[in-house]
Amino acid sequence: MKTTMKRKGLIFYLRIYGKILAQDLKSKMSYRADFIISTIGMIFTNIAGFVSFWILFRNFSSINGWGYYEMLFLYGFSLVSLTPVQCFFDNNWSLRQYVYSGDFIKYCFRPINLFFYFQSEVFDIKGLGQLAFGIGTIAYSWANMDLPFDALMLLKLIVFMLTASLIMISLQNAAAATCFWIQNSFYVLDLVFRFKDYAKYPVTIFSPVFRFIFTFVFPIAFIAYYPSLVILRPDEVPILSWLSPVIGVIFFFISYKIWMYGATKYSGTGS
Amino acid sequence: MNLRKYLTLTRAGIIESLQFRLSFLVMVIGNILYLIVVYFLWKAIYDSAETDIVNGMTFTDTLIYIVLASALFSFMEMYIVWEIGRSIQSGKIVLDLLKPMDYRRYLFWSYSGTFVSQFFLTFMPTFIAVSIATGGAIPLGMNLLYFAVSVVMSVSINYSIDFFTGTICLYTESIWGINIMKQVIVLLLSGATIPLAFFPEPLKTIMYYLPFQSIYNAPLSLLLDGNPEPQKVLITLGTQLLWCIVMLVISRVFWKISLRQITVNGG
Amino acid sequence: MPEIIEIKNITKEFKVLNRREGLKGSLKDLFSRDYKIVRAVDNVSLSIGQGEIVGYLGPNGAGKSTTIKMMTGVLEPTSGEILVDGNIPYRNRTKNAQNIGVVFGQRSQLWWALPLVESFKILKDIYRIPDENYNGMIELYRSLVDIDPLLHKPVRQMSLGQRTLSDILAAFLHDPKIVFLDEPTIGLDVSMKAKIRTLIHALNKEKKTTVILTTHDMGDVDALCHRIIIIDKGKMLYDNDIEHLKGFFGSYRTLKIRVGEDPEKQAEKIRAELPEFSVSADDEWISVLVDEEKAKVIDVLGQLQKTHNIRDMQLEEISTEEVIKKIYEEGVQ
Repeated sequence: MKTTMKRKGLIFYLRIYGKILAQDLKSKMSYRADFIISTIGMIFTNIAGFVSFWILFRNFSSINGWGYYEMLFLYGFSLVSLTPVQCFFDNNWSLRQYVYSGDFIKYCFRPINLFFYFQSEVFDIKGLGQLAFGIGTIAYSWANMDLPFDALMLLKLIVFMLTASLIMISLQNAAAATCFWIQNSFYVLDLVFRFKDYAKYPVTIFSPVFRFIFTFVFPIAFIAYYPSLVILRPDEVPILSWLSPVIGVIFFFISYKIWMYGATKYSGTGS
Repeated sequence: MNLRKYLTLTRAGIIESLQFRLSFLVMVIGNILYLIVVYFLWKAIYDSAETDIVNGMTFTDTLIYIVLASALFSFMEMYIVWEIGRSIQSGKIVLDLLKPMDYRRYLFWSYSGTFVSQFFLTFMPTFIAVSIATGGAIPLGMNLLYFAVSVVMSVSINYSIDFFTGTICLYTESIWGINIMKQVIVLLLSGATIPLAFFPEPLKTIMYYLPFQSIYNAPLSLLLDGNPEPQKVLITLGTQLLWCIVMLVISRVFWKISLRQITVNGG
Repeated sequence: MPEIIEIKNITKEFKVLNRREGLKGSLKDLFSRDYKIVRAVDNVSLSIGQGEIVGYLGPNGAGKSTTIKMMTGVLEPTSGEILVDGNIPYRNRTKNAQNIGVVFGQRSQLWWALPLVESFKILKDIYRIPDENYNGMIELYRSLVDIDPLLHKPVRQMSLGQRTLSDILAAFLHDPKIVFLDEPTIGLDVSMKAKIRTLIHALNKEKKTTVILTTHDMGDVDALCHRIIIIDKGKMLYDNDIEHLKGFFGSYRTLKIRVGEDPEKQAEKIRAELPEFSVSADDEWISVLVDEEKAKVIDVLGQLQKTHNIRDMQLEEISTEEVIKKIYEEGVQ
């Protein structure tokens, strides 16, 4: 794999992705109704999430020392960092069916990276609505907290959001890859998907044991909490927050390896 | 009605769901993790509040409510919309319609096996775990009977709503969009994510007039009330029964009309 | 002819779960499991030259797909050696992939939502086909089949025949040295089958591409292959040309008779009368495969004439279909 990656560099893959994406968008436009309904569905999801959030804070003014706007910021942050996984890695949800039916084998015959080829097939445009909603939420809470805004802050925000995205992508990759070993891996993916909803709460609410688990084993604390501390509580940033970009890359690498290992071990159930 | 042919489907479903040993393990671990997260989250929320009782619910009440709502959800979620939608897109629906069984019933009974195994593998363990963890805070009396009756009707209402939503897939290819809208509406308005008691006033009243609260809020409030007034029980169960019938009729009629349209137009 | 595929003593084993029956069995499976080893491919050796078309045959579950998966680098053999154009496929899957094309009759590898020409353009990038070769290939395709109506049609709107045709064109696009075709004509009508056979034949002639063809349709074999390889239960049964194979059954001839109403029922009767020969029937004709070492065709005909009202008859040399059927049933002595 290494040698091919060197031979076929980033430019090669970006060009192919660009081409597939452009064509895919063009053909999606021909399914206008589907596009509109999916977008409305996405807006519904976001509004419902926001409404639950709002109802909660009508009854309780703060959670574990985190105020309304700070929690809102965490919420928006998690929405934005979940966008890349939604947009670029949505084919992971179908992996189970491809493996189960034996159709996965069709991805194994091309002279390009298997993981790339598989993920490139689907670009999920719905994620963009979530992105807009998340940015709006962040901007709103930012303005209400009187946080300073400058180029450095923006840079921090972007870097730490990408970090958070990497963590979520890693979790989903690893969860999806379980289908190479477990027949009905839907539950694993669903579990990860359900847990991302809890990423928007500060990890400090947990007891030390579970704080450890949600930091190192099942790292949902990196999806919003640790990275956003850098912005929200600049005076008390733990070392883990600063390390989170590195941790994100490491987790992504591990999940990629697991995925590829599963794919090469895969023997194609349909004969 | 010949019950036997339906029970065969139930049996097949149980066998099928037992095939996947590892996913069963994952499910159990997932549920335990989920219980832990919910426990800490609501504990933190209540710790931050000035009072012990919020909107008439203590921390224990809320915890039981939320956890059992999610257990009920995993037990009632049958992915019917996906099932119908996929069958329509792949054309498999034609084969299903040829079966000597009403499609609505066929689908329900095919899933009933999963019901049974989910009930014993997910709901019961959760129920017992919560009961022990809260030091026996779940009252054990007549309320259990009311709860059981109520859950049966919840399943029926939920299935009707699912089947109705699935029928929409005859008109559009957008299964994902249709399903997510349904799920979001049902979960929020039924009080599955946040107890109904926490909702602000005008919203709460509106929700009592909608069918969704009969799915999660009704059985759970019956369960949590150790000493219910007969009048309250009657009203809750009566409302559920009403919605059961109404949603059954609506989903049946909608399916009939849609199917006729499709067969005429040769969709 | 230089060798392009070289296989020495490969074996592939799988671990399979023994499931118990019934509700009780499923509950037991939850706690204790019982595995067994299945040998899908058992000590197979073969070599294939550049430009050959080889029919790779065998009944369902014989191990054909497993062998093909090993040659394409998807599976690693349990033991033995494979070289495909000098590469070990599973060690270097992507490099091997550059040299091969694969078509699965029922599984399109094209981008479902895109028009064919866009899929081609993406493939052009993926395989890094120079403009010159790409245009040359499109010109060649144009001369062989009527591709212009296909080029701008999204794959999902195509009929099965058009889709298979497109998949074959896509597999040859980067001018691979070997193309694997897995049941390319399955589910197609007679004229589409003929079209696809002609296309494969022409591309093989033109580009000197080695073609490995897996099929259950002996029409494909008759039209395309000189050499056939037969595998069953993982073991190689036969590897030589078809004529040679028919030689094994030189004493066999097919007697076809027409007896009027309900040939299926009549065939049933004949089967009872002639238990030593294989009897089959279609809509019109009843075929009796006669081994002339056991009985003369003329005697069989005479015997049948006593009990049946024979309206018409034909005599044929044994067909490939029947040869293969006999091998699947009885093996090669």
